[in-house]
Amino acid sequence: MVTVADAGGGGLTLRLLEMGFVPGTVVTLVKRAPFGDPLEFQVRGCHISLRAAEASCVRTEPA
Amino acid sequence: MSAAPVAAELRVALAGNPNVGKTSLFNELTGSRHKVGNYAGVTVETREGAVAARWQPTRSVTVVDLPGTYSLTPVSEDEAVAFRCLHGDEGPPPDLIVLVVDAANLARNLYLAMQLCELGRPLVLALNMMDVAAEAGVPVDAAALSRALGLPVLPTVARTGEGIAALVQEICRFGQVPWDMAEVRGRLFGTPLPAGLAALPPARARWLVAAQASETLGLTGATAEERAALAGVDAGELRALAAALVIGRYAEVDRALAQIGHRGGERAPAMDHSARIDRVLTHRVWGLLIFLVVMALLFQSIFAWAEPLMGVIEAAIAWLSGQVKAGLGPGLFTDLLSEGVIAGVGNVLVFVPQIALLFLFIGLLEDTGYMARAAFLIDRLMARVGLHGKAFVPLLSGFACAIPAILGTRTISGFRDRLVTIMMIPFMSCSARLPVYVLLISALFDGEARVGPFTQASLVLLAMYVLSTVSALAVGAIYKRTLLRSPTPALVLELPPYRLPRVRNTLLQVYDRTADFVRDAGTVILAMTVVLWALLSFPRPPEAVRAGDPVELVAALESPIEHSLGGQFGKLIEPALTPMGQDFRMGVAIVGSFAAREVFVSTLGLVYGIEADDEDNQPLRQALREAKAADGRPRYSPLSGLALMVFFVYACQCMSTLAVVRRETRSWRWPLLMFVSMTALAYAMAVGVFQVGRLLGY
Ligand SMILES: Nc1nc2c(ncn2[C@@H]2O[C@H](COP(=O)(O)OP(=O)(O)O)[C@@H](O)[C@H]2O)c(=O)[nH]1
Ligand SMILES: [Mg+2]
Repeated sequence: MVTVADAGGGGLTLRLLEMGFVPGTVVTLVKRAPFGDPLEFQVRGCHISLRAAEASCVRTEPA
Repeated sequence: MSAAPVAAELRVALAGNPNVGKTSLFNELTGSRHKVGNYAGVTVETREGAVAARWQPTRSVTVVDLPGTYSLTPVSEDEAVAFRCLHGDEGPPPDLIVLVVDAANLARNLYLAMQLCELGRPLVLALNMMDVAAEAGVPVDAAALSRALGLPVLPTVARTGEGIAALVQEICRFGQVPWDMAEVRGRLFGTPLPAGLAALPPARARWLVAAQASETLGLTGATAEERAALAGVDAGELRALAAALVIGRYAEVDRALAQIGHRGGERAPAMDHSARIDRVLTHRVWGLLIFLVVMALLFQSIFAWAEPLMGVIEAAIAWLSGQVKAGLGPGLFTDLLSEGVIAGVGNVLVFVPQIALLFLFIGLLEDTGYMARAAFLIDRLMARVGLHGKAFVPLLSGFACAIPAILGTRTISGFRDRLVTIMMIPFMSCSARLPVYVLLISALFDGEARVGPFTQASLVLLAMYVLSTVSALAVGAIYKRTLLRSPTPALVLELPPYRLPRVRNTLLQVYDRTADFVRDAGTVILAMTVVLWALLSFPRPPEAVRAGDPVELVAALESPIEHSLGGQFGKLIEPALTPMGQDFRMGVAIVGSFAAREVFVSTLGLVYGIEADDEDNQPLRQALREAKAADGRPRYSPLSGLALMVFFVYACQCMSTLAVVRRETRSWRWPLLMFVSMTALAYAMAVGVFQVGRLLGY
């Protein structure tokens, strides 16, 4: 998946951008935690875990 | 760039993302001789030390280890502190910044380099983990990176000390190197700022824009003019600008990476190995099982393994106090020394094994990278209460002892979230409550009675633990929605590569934390012990009573403790204790137990004139069971015992906890609130239990 843009605004968006979820970046969903949430993503060479609610701030489209 | 300062002393700040080897590098550089510091107001730790002679620095260099951060945007205190320190908002800024980056993960690590570049201060890049990068098949050409960024780049392996001599030489050349990323900075500053902000220092203006966009201006200490300038900009425009700044920085990172022939980190080479381990460790079945085992081990270590060590410390203190008594002969001064000062030192030292073990565990879990996985696994449940997955370990530790648990909250970023966790921890039923429960249950409940396959006694005990856990969670949820209202903290958690821990680094941290506790909280605990001793010893009873046979006289008349101020207070509040089914004797013991809950047992023993300790309190149990009130009915019933236990579930009867909370929050406000609210709640719940029980006919 490729990041398109961050929805919303404010602190979370900024934090996500800073962690590398910038437009045009390739994001891969690695896995879900046992209770279904949070999710683990690979982005810019790192594995980052986000809750589903947080991840929904990142709009993606298939690469 | 600024000329070399006149002062011979060179101050160097180490900055970098978490887990890049900053601490390892710091320990190598300083030979691990350092002092731990704190920023005023918040407990963000910093450490400071001189570069060791073995690196042959040509001038004296002091290194400051900053908290590890992904960026300088003030999302939490850590970043705010790091920025203020580097920008010079808190005293003079460091002469030189050494940015430590993980060579195996430049695509994200270099983002911080761009933010530091905006600061316009002398910067050196320590390209750490060169061994990992080489092994993962992504070697980095340091010279090329140096040209691409326009600043000195020194390859290092902090784990082995490789490259550190060259890094020290480069640091000592400070002032002679003209490189300062001018070209990169020019491009970064290409994004124009609104007119009102253009007059501010450029890095600070950008910092404030990000703070305003993320609504964390409170962390920045922005002046009234700065606030006015920000308020003049349309909110949407501001957010777009903040985003554009981040995107611009990453564009620069990508440009530099392209220049050295790296493709923009679509793979995670350093994670290949770890991803395989994670297939087990975060597996939906095995992962949870292993998590349970690890947490059980952690709990076991502070609950049980610390016990023998604590026993040794207690024995040593008892021996010392015996020596003092024997050496000085009876007298007031002897009592002050043995029962006040030495006992106070004992009250401090007795926590050391638990604290050291907990931090050993936390240190190992963090160094290996498992702590992040633990938070990942349990976050779903913690988020229900509005907390971060990282709050789990401190809360669990609370079942053993609140003191190490509260110190353990330092892994939680965000002051409010830390505070919520701190306020929850004393509700967890710590091991010091156990002797009280055991005494009351065995004295007042029928040991034979069974409910199904369980004895009544074990069910009552279980009920106390359930009650404490549920209450802690409820209290957390309430604080989260009222006094400490804040959104559930974003998870945004990096799962770093697994690494073998370095025991030396972990032990150093254990030492730092423990020494910090003894020094800071210890003095308060010591003082409180002495005060409490005085309250429970003065005024002294008339000579005749003290001279007589203690057991008989005391039982018949009045024990010294009853005569004391504390004892009289216990009597004074008897009318208030009656509704919860207690008498003044329990009142005295409750007052005494404020030193620490387990003291309840021995204080009650003193009141009844019986030597009692935690292990062997058979005579005291007997006395409690047989005690009769004036009207000939038993003085205590199962119901009054239950009410008292409920009181102990809620009451904050632990001055050490209060001392540590003061230490961690840097004010008396929170410990005071904790004490008052918990005591009031305890009283209300105990009265409620007793009265409802009575209504139901028990
Ligand atoms: N292989 C390798 N491991 C390193 C290097 N530097 C640090 N480490 C390890 O990386 C982990 C994190 O290091 P630490 O110093 O705690 O990082 P910090 O979070 O930035 O302070 C530890 O397990 C270190 O032993 C290095 O250059 N090479
Ligand atoms: Mg560290």
